[in-house]
Amino acid sequence: MTMAPAVKLALVTGASSGIGKGIALRLARDGYRVLVHYNSGRAGAEHTLEAIRSAGGEGDLIQFDVGDAAAVEAALESHAKEFPNLPISVLVNNAGVHNDTLLGIMSNEAFDSVMRTNVNGPFYLMRWCVRKMLRARAGTIVNIASLAGQTGNAGQANYAASKAALIAMTKTLAMEVGTRGIRVNAVAPGLIETDMISEIPQIGEMVKRIPLGRVGTVDEVAGVVSFLCSPDAGYITGHTISVNGGLFPS
Amino acid sequence: MNDQMSLSNEIQTKVNDLFIKGFEIPSEKLTPTASLYEDLGLDSLDAVDMLVHLEETFKIKVDGERLMEVRTLQNVYDLVAEVARNAGSETVAQHAPALTANV
Ligand SMILES: NC(=O)c1ccc[n+]([C@@H]2O[C@H](COP(=O)([O-])OP(=O)(O)OC[C@H]3O[C@@H](n4cnc5c(N)ncnc54)[C@H](OP(=O)(O)O)[C@@H]3O)[C@@H](O)[C@H]2O)c1
Repeated sequence: MTMAPAVKLALVTGASSGIGKGIALRLARDGYRVLVHYNSGRAGAEHTLEAIRSAGGEGDLIQFDVGDAAAVEAALESHAKEFPNLPISVLVNNAGVHNDTLLGIMSNEAFDSVMRTNVNGPFYLMRWCVRKMLRARAGTIVNIASLAGQTGNAGQANYAASKAALIAMTKTLAMEVGTRGIRVNAVAPGLIETDMISEIPQIGEMVKRIPLGRVGTVDEVAGVVSFLCSPDAGYITGHTISVNGGLFPS
Repeated sequence: MNDQMSLSNEIQTKVNDLFIKGFEIPSEKLTPTASLYEDLGLDSLDAVDMLVHLEETFKIKVDGERLMEVRTLQNVYDLVAEVARNAGSETVAQHAPALTANV
């Protein structure tokens, strides 16, 4: 009989809906205990947790606004106190927002709020987690970027800039902590079947330009995150994997 | 005065212990003037790691930027003492016995 491996903890931010929910479910299936994070969508997060449990997995809820440094810290510290033997092995920075308009008429608020959630948020989370991972000499971080961060996208100057920043932060942190066995990667989804894209008016036209001829699924993003967290990806760090059906070959 | 003395001894012992166990540095190298980087062979990541160690050991919160000023082992002792002092004598008193008990 082999001993069951010690349970590892994965924190998935923005797991109350869409892609984050899919990632949380997938990592739970991979055997992680999942910290299902939400901000305002408690009902959604509870739903994610129920789905994890009914599939035989384990998890807990955690709430904070990723853009509030003090709140991030307080929530993570309090979790660490409550579960001292369950450090975060995997961090998935998935929480993200967009607020689209042309740059010429974009408000300061629209710019700052997207940066706050999409850039400051992952920064606060990575800073806290990486310190613990340095102690543990292990850990994996996956940042959910976007095709827009690789190519730019008309109407999304704030969002594209935030995701490009996230990719640059991914590369930088990977360089800083590689010697300690910590890997940091990003996933850049293209058009994925979620609420976020159901609002796009010209979606039909856009799909025509995708070589695979369809939008992607949440599971197709979650599968790549799962791979990046696994030992199969043990020699991959600082990398951004595009999951876009060929829309932007890189 | 006496308490102050014993507290700073405790800090020294505990910090040295951390270098011996956490960074596998032989105790004879741990002189107050030893440079963390040149003499003890730490790199900048080790310094971040040391900071986390210190925070956990002494139950203190150190502003990461303070690492810039830290060159020698004595600087580490002083930093811990200063932060612990500023955190309020209560914290220091509370943790001082634990420090002695563990060494
Ligand atoms: N859908 C796509 O086609 C697509 C394409 C490329 C990249 N992405 C990226 O994939 C990620 C997930 O997107 P999605 O489509 O699944 O979005 P979504 O369904 O709108 O979910 C966004 C998640 O982020 C959380 N969130 C938002 N602001 C937050 C804040 N200030 N603090 C904490 N959490 C916050 C939300 O939490 P609450 O609801 O609990 O507040 C929610 O769980 C995002 O980073 C997005 O940029 C999506």
